Amino acid sequence: MNSVVIAGYARSPFQLARKGQFVRTRPDDIAAQVVRALVERTGVAPEEIEDLILGCAFPEGEQGFNLGRIVALLSDLPLSVGGVTVNRFCGSSMQSVHMAAGAIRMGAGEVFICAGVESMTRIPMGGFNPLPNPALYKKRPGAYMDMGITAENVARTYEIGRAEQEAFALRSQARTRDAVAAGRLEAEIVPIQTRDGVVSVDGCPRPDTNAEGLAGLKPAFDAAHGTVTAGTSSPLTDGAASVLVCSEAYADRKGLPKLARIRSIAISGCAPEVMGLGPILSSRKALERAGIAIGDVGVVELNEAFASQSIACVRELGVRDETLNIDGGAIALGHPLGATGARIVGKAAQLLGREGARYALATQCIGGGQGIATVLERI
Amino acid sequence: MTQHIPSGGTDGARPTFSRVCVIGSGVMGAGIAAQIANAGVPVLLLDRKADGADPNALANDAIARALKTDPAPFMDPAAAKLITTGNIDDDLARVAECDWVVEVIIERLDLKQALYRRLDAVHRPGTPISSNTSTIPLARLVEGLPARFTRDFLITHFFNPPRYMRLLEIVTGPTTDPAHVGAVTDFCDRWLGKSVVRAKDTAGFIANRIGTFWMQAAARVAVDHGLTVEQVDTIIGRPFGIPKTGVFGLLDLVGIDLMPHISASMKSLLAAGDRYHAFADDLPLIGKMIEGGYTGRKGKGGFYRINKAGGGKVKESIDLATGAYAVSERFALPPGAGDMAGLLAANDRFGAYARKVMGETLAYAASLVPEISDDIVGIDKAMELGFNWKKGPFALIDQIGAAKLAALLRQEGIAVPALVEAVGDGRFYQDRDGVTRAFGVDGGWHPVARAEGVILLEDFRKGGKPVLSSRSGALWDIGDGVACFEITTKMNTFDESVMAILEKSIAHVGEHFKALVLYSDATHFSAGANLGLAAFAANMAAWGEIRKLIVRGQAVYKTLKYAPFPVVAAPAGMALGGGCEIVLHADAVQAHAESYIGLVECGVGLVPGWGGCGEMLDRLRADPHTAGGPMPPTREVFEMIATARVSKSAAEARRMHILRDRDGITMNRDRLLADAKMLALSLVEGYRSPPKPEFHLAGAGGKLALDMAVEGMARQGIATPHDVTVAGKLAFILTGGAHDSTENVTEEDMLELERAAFLELIQSIPTLDRIEHMLETGKPLRN
Repeated sequence: MNSVVIAGYARSPFQLARKGQFVRTRPDDIAAQVVRALVERTGVAPEEIEDLILGCAFPEGEQGFNLGRIVALLSDLPLSVGGVTVNRFCGSSMQSVHMAAGAIRMGAGEVFICAGVESMTRIPMGGFNPLPNPALYKKRPGAYMDMGITAENVARTYEIGRAEQEAFALRSQARTRDAVAAGRLEAEIVPIQTRDGVVSVDGCPRPDTNAEGLAGLKPAFDAAHGTVTAGTSSPLTDGAASVLVCSEAYADRKGLPKLARIRSIAISGCAPEVMGLGPILSSRKALERAGIAIGDVGVVELNEAFASQSIACVRELGVRDETLNIDGGAIALGHPLGATGARIVGKAAQLLGREGARYALATQCIGGGQGIATVLERI
Repeated sequence: MTQHIPSGGTDGARPTFSRVCVIGSGVMGAGIAAQIANAGVPVLLLDRKADGADPNALANDAIARALKTDPAPFMDPAAAKLITTGNIDDDLARVAECDWVVEVIIERLDLKQALYRRLDAVHRPGTPISSNTSTIPLARLVEGLPARFTRDFLITHFFNPPRYMRLLEIVTGPTTDPAHVGAVTDFCDRWLGKSVVRAKDTAGFIANRIGTFWMQAAARVAVDHGLTVEQVDTIIGRPFGIPKTGVFGLLDLVGIDLMPHISASMKSLLAAGDRYHAFADDLPLIGKMIEGGYTGRKGKGGFYRINKAGGGKVKESIDLATGAYAVSERFALPPGAGDMAGLLAANDRFGAYARKVMGETLAYAASLVPEISDDIVGIDKAMELGFNWKKGPFALIDQIGAAKLAALLRQEGIAVPALVEAVGDGRFYQDRDGVTRAFGVDGGWHPVARAEGVILLEDFRKGGKPVLSSRSGALWDIGDGVACFEITTKMNTFDESVMAILEKSIAHVGEHFKALVLYSDATHFSAGANLGLAAFAANMAAWGEIRKLIVRGQAVYKTLKYAPFPVVAAPAGMALGGGCEIVLHADAVQAHAESYIGLVECGVGLVPGWGGCGEMLDRLRADPHTAGGPMPPTREVFEMIATARVSKSAAEARRMHILRDRDGITMNRDRLLADAKMLALSLVEGYRSPPKPEFHLAGAGGKLALDMAVEGMARQGIATPHDVTVAGKLAFILTGGAHDSTENVTEEDMLELERAAFLELIQSIPTLDRIEHMLETGKPLRN
């Protein structure tokens, strides 16, 4: 069977929704600039691309009209290249990678762009027209549960107190601050042209965050009993990310950089009320399919939707601290829903080379109760 | 952006000045700049050049501060974008781009003169330059400046805060170009909404000359008479139509540290024989208070302070003799001495105090014509608008009786001013044949002319009778085929009797007039339905009566909406609940810029019952900026009503979609009726009543989405248990009730949903608790 590799990674800066520098920029325009840069930077022959698989969690409004095809056209990919929009909420663009990997394995194309985008400014979380099914709500209220409440549920179940969550958030901010200071994020960022100028740095991190400040925040979701605050949650974010996925043979033939090989993938479901635990089962499945144990993994990219669920997953999976989110995570960097999967797969692949580890795990939780995981191997 | 149908103009009329430069970005400068921006006119705001990276930091910081100030200088934050900032060193030459330059720098003659010399070199000759000085005479300001400069120069004295205080004093010099006075007056009147009073070039002009005299006298006499601050503020406040802050409360508000500056400047400028000197020395206590940081509300406190020690909030007041604070005790005047007449006749120390202070003050005011103003009208207007007195000194004298006052003054040993002697046992104002005439220094009577384009119902009331009237409302013929309906209940609240006269008026207008304006001279357009009556009916379980009032109100408002003639609502001040709903049923709105409009029913545990839900939905979905699908309009209306949001200006009401694009905003309160009438007339030709809307709403799924959002807010501690209940009813209405999302929801369906929800809620205990609490405390109960 064809072996599948990650052959490039590029993303836009991530900006705070509603107050950052992408407020006035359409999500399709951000995504198109990222895709174009990925093509230019990798040097892939555009006409050989099979499909643009684009993840997006709320594909309506400016993210509607089959956004995958729209972005393909906006970024001037040849008309022969396809475009599809994928939605698995937060797992959308990791799902893009999985779909490309599957297609390559079965010989249905050699090279794909797997991307994701979300403007949480311009398309509200929940969409413009949320119309939940009253019958399902009665039967399973968790199906539509506020993500913050699921984070509270996890904190309660795992007895993760505020202090522990805040220490985790501080760690995320510190790792990010160090990565930014050392210029380790510059290579992956594509400067984005907006109506108000070029944006080339991340806008979400709060490098000055301190323990006192975090301790002073009010609970964001449950005033009476809550432990989860804005400081221990990922912020609403605008941004796009992309990876180039191709067969190893294609990469060899064209001389494309082989950042990492995809070893295994997995999807799993869990109770919607504790959706943050999703990565546990999906990661276990992916590790087992790769035939390795967590101890073999030197790079873990675990999406920090919330500190509480991240801590629970780290505990359950036995992730070692020095392997976890080395350049920081979503609490500091931001979490543009549809874009995050491509970011953490790309990041894990990039870190494998940098850190000299053999295996990497990229995994995330998904609203509604799911997990998704990808195991990568250094070549 | 604020949009205007400018006063006295038509669509597309341009302001007198297309760009204004304000120099000095302190509280007053920034406030004046903000008010000019509120009018939609671009401003260049300059201040000193700052050290550091941003040379315009002073002006930039001033705007940032203004955006955070409460009460807000800006009517809409977007107006701040009309202000360009700069600094005097780099940008002064840009005054040549401006049609009017307002100087608002520190009150120092040398600095002002230095600036004027620089301005003289760069400004476009023939464009007005004015100073906002409150203490320096014009003659001194322009001393030594060339004629080309003095021709362009005048004083425009704004009051703080410039957005909210309606008074503007204009002072000119002997050589000021009269054309400038006309242009500045016109701009400040129509575009900035100010009532312009011409004052002479004397110390303190009009309002501060009399106002500081009054404050100084009140404070000094209080100490002499051994009264407490509460006693003084009670005596010198409400009985005289003066705000309840009285004197000491007002000093706290203005800033006690300002007083020594003002009295020093007045002392130095006023002639030796001026009565002001009798009261000019500050209380020794004031110096100590300023030293200790007790400068008023902006400082640690003043004559009053809130003591937060021990976690509580205790209102305390200062002992004028010892300077010690003690718990503030409410003071009530003895029975029979609670109003002005009773107080002035009272044989106790409170009466003696009132006679002395108000006698001195009124005599002082009467002695200053024509020294500070050519006529008594300007003086009254200045005190009414500059110090928020209900009546100016001469109107107060009329209320007392001029002859009575003269007797009182003699008794108190205060010199009787010639003008009071001259008017004898007559009055300073006389109404005859619908014309008000004012007594002049020449002993004659002069008509008090309204400015062109100003109409008040008050004028019609003097001249004649309404076409229709009852104890609750009246219909006036305001000329040119336009009728005006006014409510005359307390706070203009709605009840059955208002609905009756309104219904009769609508029928009458249909037969005899071309258009109808809904308007009132009162401070507030309407506080909504009469809650007291609703509570009374609910306590008697008169549900049938309540139902009838809801049905009646819905029917009357829809009759108004579909009447065969145009209807223009002209709100000013508060238009809440049912008062907002009637505005929503008009064809068009001409709102005063200071309009505070909103559907506040949820605050008392109710939902809008007179068609407000449907009218708001209709507005939202008509806006091309609203996202597609059934939920976005529903969500926005839901949020606005569930949180009982009230606009803080007409500009904000437009953002909230209460006002539509075609609706106008009038800056000057006195021009509102005239503007509304003109708007109504513009709709007459080819008028067709609006088509009935049909709604496509989300149904059960949409309601669930709103319910879930409210549950989230309850968990976050933002929504109370009864909020959740009320919001649930509101969500049911706004998503079309039991209708499926494929079914049309008619206007009648919406009314029925409103009725059902309203009646259910008003029969619930938590709602009745909310209503009672509101009636008792004026504040919402968060149950």
